[in-house]
Amino acid sequence: MYQLDDQEIDFILTDLRQRGIETESMRMNLLDHICILIENTLQEDGDFPQFYATTIRSFYKEELRELEDEAHLLMALNKGQLLLSRNQFFFSLAALLIIPVLYKFSCLVVFFHPLLVLLVIFLTPDRFDPLIPRKAKILLGGRSMISVILAKE
Amino acid sequence: MTYSPELLKGTLKTIVMKLLADNKKMYGYEITQKVKELTRDKIQITEGALYPTLHALEADGLVTTEVEYIGKRIRKYYSLSPTGKAATREKLKELTNFMDTMIALLEIKPKMA
Repeated sequence: MYQLDDQEIDFILTDLRQRGIETESMRMNLLDHICILIENTLQEDGDFPQFYATTIRSFYKEELRELEDEAHLLMALNKGQLLLSRNQFFFSLAALLIIPVLYKFSCLVVFFHPLLVLLVIFLTPDRFDPLIPRKAKILLGGRSMISVILAKE
Repeated sequence: MTYSPELLKGTLKTIVMKLLADNKKMYGYEITQKVKELTRDKIQITEGALYPTLHALEADGLVTTEVEYIGKRIRKYYSLSPTGKAATREKLKELTNFMDTMIALLEIKPKMA
């Protein structure tokens, strides 16, 4: 049975981070899993780097980061992030564009219309469809834009 | 024969929740081994499917966690929360119903004992 030393554990942790596993909890889970696999499978005089490289490759299809993306996707699917549905969002925007025409730019509309437009845009959170691939996400709401700007890539 | 990941994807959450219901608390590697053992290697849960599912269950409040320190490592144990226990019963009911529907839909004749 192979016994991992602290240096090898640090190596695995650093590698997981470099491969895009940013959530500490996910990193710790993977570290423990890999360590058990190594300790249970590798011989005492086994080749750690070689075995690790093969093991980690079996965790993903294209890149390890997929695990984290999949976790975010599953969480987003269960969250119900939208205040307005897609149809409600477009209907509200269309209505807000028509209102000034109907009221012929009355004083009330001039004051409240920009505010309403901002409300619709900003109260429509994360207009992301979690089923759309990460690189192809469509921005419809201002809050989404802010969250993307603030998000760590 | 092992089942395809596509076939398992929709049932993974239920499998994990049922195992946690039966075993009180488990960690990731333990779950993969238990599934292999119970299904005689027919179902092999991949790390790429298991850990995102566990994280989503935790985020949804369906499981609670406790950690054990093993030197520089941390082992995370998962157990069902009260909400998770109720959700497991619902999930099992839904899956049983779904399997009955599939049997009827595909006209599968159950094997005689």
